[in-house]
Amino acid sequence: MKLLKSALICIFCLINIPLFSQEKYTISGIVSEKTSNETLIGVTMLFPELNTGTTTNEYGFYSITLPKGTYKIIISYVGFDNINDTISLNENITKNFNLIETSENLDEVIIKENVEKLNIRKPQMSINALSSNSIKQIPVVLGEADVIKAITLLPGVTNAGEGSSGFNVRGGSADQNLILLDEATIYNSSHLFGFFSVFNPDAIKDLKLYKGGIPARYGGRVASVLDIYQKEGNNKAFHANGGIGIVSSRLLIEGPLKKDEGSFLLGGRSSYAHLFLPLFDIDNVAYFYDLNTKFSYKLNKNNNIYLSGYFGRDVFSLADSFENTYGNTLVNFRWNHLFSDKLFSNLSLIYSDYYYGLNLDFVEFEWNSGIQNFNVKYDFKHYISDTFKLQYGLNSIYYKFNPGKIEPSTPTSGINLFKLTDKYAFENALYIDAEHKLSDKLTMSYGLRFSSFLRLGQDELNIYENDLPVIFNEDFQVYQNAKPIDSETFKRSDIIESFSNLEPRVTLALQLTNESSIKASYNRMSQYLHLLSNTSSPTPLDVWTPSGKYVKPQLLNQFAIGYFKNFNDYSFELESYYKTIKNRIDYIDGADLIANNAIEQVILNGKARAYGFEVLLRKNEGRFKGWLAYTMSKSEQQTPGRTPSELGINNGEWYSTAYDKTHDISFTGSYQFSKKWKLNTNFLFQTGQPTSYPNSQYIFEGITIPNFGNRNADRLPAYHRLDVSFRYTPKPSKNKGLQSYWVFGVYNLYDRKNATSITFDRNVTTGANEATRLAIFGIVPSVSYNFKL
Amino acid sequence: MNDMRNVIFISLLSFFITSCEDVIDVDVPTAPPRLVIDASINWFKNTPGNEQFIKLTLSAPYFDTEVPPANGAQVIITDTNNNTFNFVEDRNTGFYSNNNFVPEINGIYNLTITYNNEVYTATETLKSVSSVEFIEQQNDGGFTGDEIEIKAFYTDPINEENFYFYRFTNTTEPDISLEVYDDEFTDGNQIFAFYTDEDLAKGHELIIRNFGISEQFYEFMFILQQQTGDNGGGPFETQPATVRGNCINQTNPENYPFGYFRVSEADELTYIVQ
Repeated sequence: MKLLKSALICIFCLINIPLFSQEKYTISGIVSEKTSNETLIGVTMLFPELNTGTTTNEYGFYSITLPKGTYKIIISYVGFDNINDTISLNENITKNFNLIETSENLDEVIIKENVEKLNIRKPQMSINALSSNSIKQIPVVLGEADVIKAITLLPGVTNAGEGSSGFNVRGGSADQNLILLDEATIYNSSHLFGFFSVFNPDAIKDLKLYKGGIPARYGGRVASVLDIYQKEGNNKAFHANGGIGIVSSRLLIEGPLKKDEGSFLLGGRSSYAHLFLPLFDIDNVAYFYDLNTKFSYKLNKNNNIYLSGYFGRDVFSLADSFENTYGNTLVNFRWNHLFSDKLFSNLSLIYSDYYYGLNLDFVEFEWNSGIQNFNVKYDFKHYISDTFKLQYGLNSIYYKFNPGKIEPSTPTSGINLFKLTDKYAFENALYIDAEHKLSDKLTMSYGLRFSSFLRLGQDELNIYENDLPVIFNEDFQVYQNAKPIDSETFKRSDIIESFSNLEPRVTLALQLTNESSIKASYNRMSQYLHLLSNTSSPTPLDVWTPSGKYVKPQLLNQFAIGYFKNFNDYSFELESYYKTIKNRIDYIDGADLIANNAIEQVILNGKARAYGFEVLLRKNEGRFKGWLAYTMSKSEQQTPGRTPSELGINNGEWYSTAYDKTHDISFTGSYQFSKKWKLNTNFLFQTGQPTSYPNSQYIFEGITIPNFGNRNADRLPAYHRLDVSFRYTPKPSKNKGLQSYWVFGVYNLYDRKNATSITFDRNVTTGANEATRLAIFGIVPSVSYNFKL
Repeated sequence: MNDMRNVIFISLLSFFITSCEDVIDVDVPTAPPRLVIDASINWFKNTPGNEQFIKLTLSAPYFDTEVPPANGAQVIITDTNNNTFNFVEDRNTGFYSNNNFVPEINGIYNLTITYNNEVYTATETLKSVSSVEFIEQQNDGGFTGDEIEIKAFYTDPINEENFYFYRFTNTTEPDISLEVYDDEFTDGNQIFAFYTDEDLAKGHELIIRNFGISEQFYEFMFILQQQTGDNGGGPFETQPATVRGNCINQTNPENYPFGYFRVSEADELTYIVQ
């Protein structure tokens, strides 16, 4: 009995002791850059004595709850001077910090991530972050800084060749990337067929690419998330930033709306190379322009509002016979609200529009198509304790798809008015994500996303016999379109088809030593929108289509494991991944997707898989900085016949996707010779893209026809090139008034003719068949002048 | 519409003065030869249509300079009126001809070929065609704005599904261009077939032929077009694959033939470029 009493007293004391000696208080606030008040994302706030810390979120806000006491705090962010301070935590405090850019402010770093010990422990893997400054360092064709070209230098990221738009992450297709600009979705990330990206590097504050380990707050695309945040604008003083290059120029103006409280940012970019074409007697026009705008206002210490916009257009025209215009429009209103010093929220109301228009004067018709969406997002970040952080929220999107409208443009036109049926859908998600420090060495993040997709009513949904829009003709061994037997019209509020999926996401980080860790992750993701494209890379003519009666959502499982180590000035990452995707759309031979009002008649359901390993070695400090990335991977898909007697696509065998590149080596580096001169260089080597070569020829109707066998069974020659650029800053110590620098660059220094495609044709003069290689960029020198006011 | 992607892309290339096209050596795989059935029965308007021929060849390795003829085959066409038309080979050329053919609009014809002890069959319907009414020439078209463009106008019958196969033969150059059209967006309208070529010049003789075709031939030719000549290759090519026609090898289905058995009413117009 006495033993029991002592035991009870002990237990009682143990329970009570925490109430007294572990009183906890919260310190929270915003971290900004001193001269502009631009908030900083991902700043590390370390409490070395407690061996704990946190980082600022996408709006510069941090919050951490610690036991009462006095502690040293170290605030660090790559490219900025550290702040060392002492905090007396006797009550809940709000403390904002202003960081100063490191004085040699041209001493850029290429990647800022995973340098601090804190990040060794962070349960985040397969993520690469880039700052705007580093993107502007990487030499690219025509001297134009380019976000998408910069990320293709990272391991696991590639593209389907020069002239292809979009990018491919870990063997995924270009439409499987969720691209967000200030939380709004962008549908086409390229201008002029991938020669330029839609992002103005001057307007960007921060960029993160998630290749795996994707947290539950993101969803809707299965391969990756490219999350880009624009700057708010300097709310202390007016500044301008710009550059003039051979092909395009840009100008950004920022300044206060109300000093220290409100700011605006206006940036524009345009290309003008087409103005020189008349000199060569070419009556064609091809140009792009974009406009980035942002207004930010701090209502009070708990509320901030932002209004961002983006408008971009590409215009092509051919000698008055043909004009083509397309681009994204985004308008986005956001409200940050602090419910308490531990609960941060952001509400976003977004409108986005992707438009594609074609005017064919010589055939006398106009074609318009597009996708519009309205999106509401409400995200909460709950900083519960220093070992437990919760993120939860909802995301709701309403879509209207216009697959196309063909209108005669003159009264005498031979074309009839035709409207492809509009489609409507409603996509919703609820998520909860926890970041949990289980012990000193083990941190986990785990979450669940519940997503649902409702395909709403439309006019004229085709009905087919046995629900089969594609039939297999056994005699000819080909797939053919089935003719609809009927069609059904619905009210807008009807639900034709609904899908829902639970998407668990887990990442573990196990610290091995102070400088190394092992991480592992599992993601399940679903994608309800699909870009219909049966060409080797997407074109602006391609149409997005929602899942429905005949098109199923794509479902992905991805496993990844990695080893991370920091040593001296270097960091090393080794990751391996495996992914499988169900319901990957494939197209019957010769499918014509353009102006096709019944795409269900040309598609079949297949699956895809990708696996590989990635190595990244980075040097982050010193005169020489850069990284070397190597990826070895495989990306393939398979569409077997629906029954044993059907052939399937490519005889139902696995075949390489168009962006499968076995070996991908990227090296990028910068060397600071002196304060005025800096050298930047890139070297790339990639296995040639898969392609199909003919295996025989025959003559039919007087024409020589090449015959092709298996899909993508051959490869183009290997791709490699070397780029070099020099950055010259005439007055490196000047930091007021007009500051400028020149960039002199050469793309493809040894003039390698890299094949974009090889076509097979009969030479009319010689009568013999030949293979013709198209190489887009030989050696291309460039000059640009960049300034900051 | 389909060429639009390539057109836009090629125009864009005019910027990149450093871009180039070179002929290179490539190792391509070799597949065993197959029979190629080039069976086009054309009944030109205002002719009896009794003289017809069929060409049989074999497929060959891609870089060979010639394709071999398929000799010694037996070629027969039958119709629904119990007529049998025998096609006789001209020496060893692979051309099989007949001079007592009876064409009939919407007649159904069956082709039977026996070659190398295997039997190949196909069935097709003779489709009617609209006449080529007139030609319009424009001298400021094409992709550079100074090429000659030819439009061959015809009128599509309303409320029927029609498909057309156009063949533009420039006898002066020489050059052959094939196009297929449907009437999905042009039903009942006067519309044109389009031809342009950078080498087209004044004085060239252009023979324009319009053939009435079935939907199946339209699909077949459409896919073939995607993979050959100006439309083939480039970053926007659709995935190429073996194109299957309407001929089946009854004896050994795996040894299917290339080509197509087409039966059409046809119209022809000769035009001298102004």
